[in-house]
Amino acid sequence: MTTGRVRDNVVTYLLVALVLIVFMTPIYLIVSSSLKPAPIMFSRPPAFLFTPTLQNYYDLFTMRPFHLQILNSLMAALGSTAVSVTFGSLAAYAISRVKARWMNDVAFWILSTRMFPPIAVVVPYYIIFKSLGLLDTPLALIIVYSTFNIPLTVWLMKGFFDEVPPALEEAAQLDGHGVVATFLYVVLPLAAPGLAVAAVFCFIFSWNEFLFALMLTGSNAQTVTVAVMSFWSSDAIQWGRIMAGSFIVLIPGVIFVLTCQRWLVKGLTMGSVKG
Amino acid sequence: MSSVVLKNVTKRYGLHEVVHAIDLEVTEGEFAVLLGPSGCGKTTTLRMVAGLEDISSGEIKIAGRRVNDVEPKDRQIAMVFQNYALYPHMTVRQNMQFALKPQQLEAKEVAARIDEAARVLGLEPLLERKPSQLSGGQRQRVAMARAMVRTPKVFLFDEPLSNLDAKLRSQVRVEIAKLHKRLGTTALYVTHDQVEAMTLADKIVIMKDGNIEQIGSPEEVFARPRNLFVASFIGSPAMNLIEMTVESQGGRAVLKGAEITIPAPSGAAGKIKVGQRVTVGIRPSDLHIAKPADSGPVYDATVDVSEFLGTEVLLDLRVGGAEMTAQIPAQEKPAEDQAIRIAFDLNAVHLFDTASGVAV
Amino acid sequence: MKPISKRNRKIVGLFLIPTVVVLFFTTIYPMLYALWLSFRSYDLAKLFVPRVFVGLANYQEVLSSAGFFHALFITFKLMAFTLSVQLVLGVGIALLVAQRLPGMALVRTLLMTPMMIAPVIVGLVWLFVYFPELGYLNYFLGLIGIPPIPWITSIQWALTAIAIADIWQWTPFIMMGVTAALHSLSPEPYEAARIDGNSKIDVFLRVTLPQLKPVLISLLFLRAIDAFKIYDIIYVLTKGGPSDVTEVISLYIYRQSFTFWRMGVGAAASFVSLFVISVLITLFFRSMNRSAAAQA
Repeated sequence: MTTGRVRDNVVTYLLVALVLIVFMTPIYLIVSSSLKPAPIMFSRPPAFLFTPTLQNYYDLFTMRPFHLQILNSLMAALGSTAVSVTFGSLAAYAISRVKARWMNDVAFWILSTRMFPPIAVVVPYYIIFKSLGLLDTPLALIIVYSTFNIPLTVWLMKGFFDEVPPALEEAAQLDGHGVVATFLYVVLPLAAPGLAVAAVFCFIFSWNEFLFALMLTGSNAQTVTVAVMSFWSSDAIQWGRIMAGSFIVLIPGVIFVLTCQRWLVKGLTMGSVKG
Repeated sequence: MSSVVLKNVTKRYGLHEVVHAIDLEVTEGEFAVLLGPSGCGKTTTLRMVAGLEDISSGEIKIAGRRVNDVEPKDRQIAMVFQNYALYPHMTVRQNMQFALKPQQLEAKEVAARIDEAARVLGLEPLLERKPSQLSGGQRQRVAMARAMVRTPKVFLFDEPLSNLDAKLRSQVRVEIAKLHKRLGTTALYVTHDQVEAMTLADKIVIMKDGNIEQIGSPEEVFARPRNLFVASFIGSPAMNLIEMTVESQGGRAVLKGAEITIPAPSGAAGKIKVGQRVTVGIRPSDLHIAKPADSGPVYDATVDVSEFLGTEVLLDLRVGGAEMTAQIPAQEKPAEDQAIRIAFDLNAVHLFDTASGVAV
Repeated sequence: MKPISKRNRKIVGLFLIPTVVVLFFTTIYPMLYALWLSFRSYDLAKLFVPRVFVGLANYQEVLSSAGFFHALFITFKLMAFTLSVQLVLGVGIALLVAQRLPGMALVRTLLMTPMMIAPVIVGLVWLFVYFPELGYLNYFLGLIGIPPIPWITSIQWALTAIAIADIWQWTPFIMMGVTAALHSLSPEPYEAARIDGNSKIDVFLRVTLPQLKPVLISLLFLRAIDAFKIYDIIYVLTKGGPSDVTEVISLYIYRQSFTFWRMGVGAAASFVSLFVISVLITLFFRSMNRSAAAQA
């Protein structure tokens, strides 16, 4: 019976409880604070039992065009995901299949773009987008996010493509299929889990991003992360609304973790862990 | 004193029972083999003796001491695993040192034991290598050396040859036999390969679906299988089995079936009844091409396929309505599709009650 | 391995083109622009000073400024602290939750959530926790007799406060990677050790850890690259203060570019830090290759 096993491992379960408290409390804080009216926000002792109110959420949507901002975030995230997954998997396929000296350099260059501190390119992007008239548009964010998401996709997909046996492509080509058809109908379906993982990561990164959204957008294309921070004005931090907004920003990440956990693990550890 | 005793040992996973109240005694110095198909419970039984699995009910004693609740490390056993179980980041020598560490022996003693094991198993040139640099056969010998240096009371082997290719298998099999002869330690060995069992065992324990079907020496289980399962499991190529019925003919019992008639062997006469359905078993090696001097029954047969094995030939025969395999010396090889006559010694025939499977 | 014919290989090579084109324009071009900036005196605060070419003056200033090296120092100090704690905690928690006990699978999933949260939000919730006078951390510490700590307002504690938030967010990443690695280890050596009687600590140190080493190095490498760029959390919690004890390299660049409006200096600092991290990565790879060659 499982109860026997639980009893034998009391210490383990106590430690696990401790770990869970440490890691889950901030999330609990976000949720519970978003439902607290301002007066009890910081009450001592903390108000564990209280009458929840949706006022903060209401304010969120009335004091800001939050639904539009959610839309902006979605556009930027989905757009960048679509671009990055498409371009990135094509490139990853090339890197996986074509073994050449120069390919290693190209691969290294693509992956090295992740190393540059984003803050350093904010000004150039600002000036370039301004001159192109792209400031304060979702397109600007899609472009910027793709710059970071494509290398991420390449990193992930290369591992998945490496696991597809070349014998399958050879068989398809012997049957007379061209390279593109082989890629689309033979290889890609087998690497589909990788595409899902890459898409999730691209989406999450774009949705969570703050700095570029802050610098490159104004009132039109503002994303949720910036909107949440906007409730922090110089005179006061409007905690209730910040927490409500934070909760909404939280949702995609939590959903993905709870539903795609196994694939996320595989994607993140691809290349680090064997099989 | 028996080295390993299992009394009424049962293993359950939740409500599912996989080993049903088995009894087994392995005497000191004996090489006992648990033989059976996948899922018969042999590995589970071995792991219960090792302490890697809990015993649901019953009792296991090692060297006279009840070990049901004793940790594996205190049972004075050593185990050789199917996948070698070597520590990948240690050299061969370090693998053996690590295995001895809990015994807290003097460095001199440790070195002496390692050198001895290396010598016996031919591992001297490999002592500083890591497992990834060794072949399968070498790794298995290292696994045996690691077990050996612990000077246990019982060696446990869990299908150690299954991961090796055929040629290596026979080589390492010989190593195991030599090791046992040299050390004389009690051994409990699990395999699904009856050749390994027959060549290595002092005592074979045949298991099926969590039950022990027969315990005996290789000669016993070969010559006197207790039931149909044992009869068909032991021996390669497998025993020919034909379902027949007992009938009376001219006042004497005969066995009729598959369009042939066999007179009942004299030893079985009192144990069978007319109308009883029996299965007749004849080993391929007991069939031979009829010679004029044969006194026993002779049958017409046609050769469907003949397989040449070097010194022997396997004939796939049709005798009456039955298909049989015969194993004959290569010189007597007939042509395919040829009609021949075969004979066998009636005393070599095995009879089993079809319904229960038990030998008559 | 040449799985495809030469002609096909060329076509597959063409698959690279969309990516290369996009990345070229989105990275090389802006970087060249930033490079151009770094050679100019581009002070948006001083409206009437012309934006002229000043050669290496910006670089000189950066390389001689205490501020820049201080920022580098703070960055590496923070990285060293957070990465080592993440490593120990991540491995420890992974071992704890790798056990096959009821409910552990759910625990493992739940523990992965912090790393999926937007860093800005992480900053905000920890601000809530650390908030002077009001934050709950000091309240609960007070319950066990610890006097209130000025987490984000004092020079001694600010960097630690940030480190704690960062560790909170990223330990799950290490934990997850180690869990996956533990899963891939074969169980038999552990059974052999159980039969031989080796102590659990011994088994961990001499059997598990050596096998985990490559994974840990890989995970730490990924974390290090991201940790170097840390920005959002610090922006929310301390903005580099108090008095620049938490001013990491990203914040130094931010301050030069957007507080003092000295874009040229900011750009120069960006390139110097890029150079620093490139050197470190190259050294890292070289030492990896050397140790791999030594092992073979």
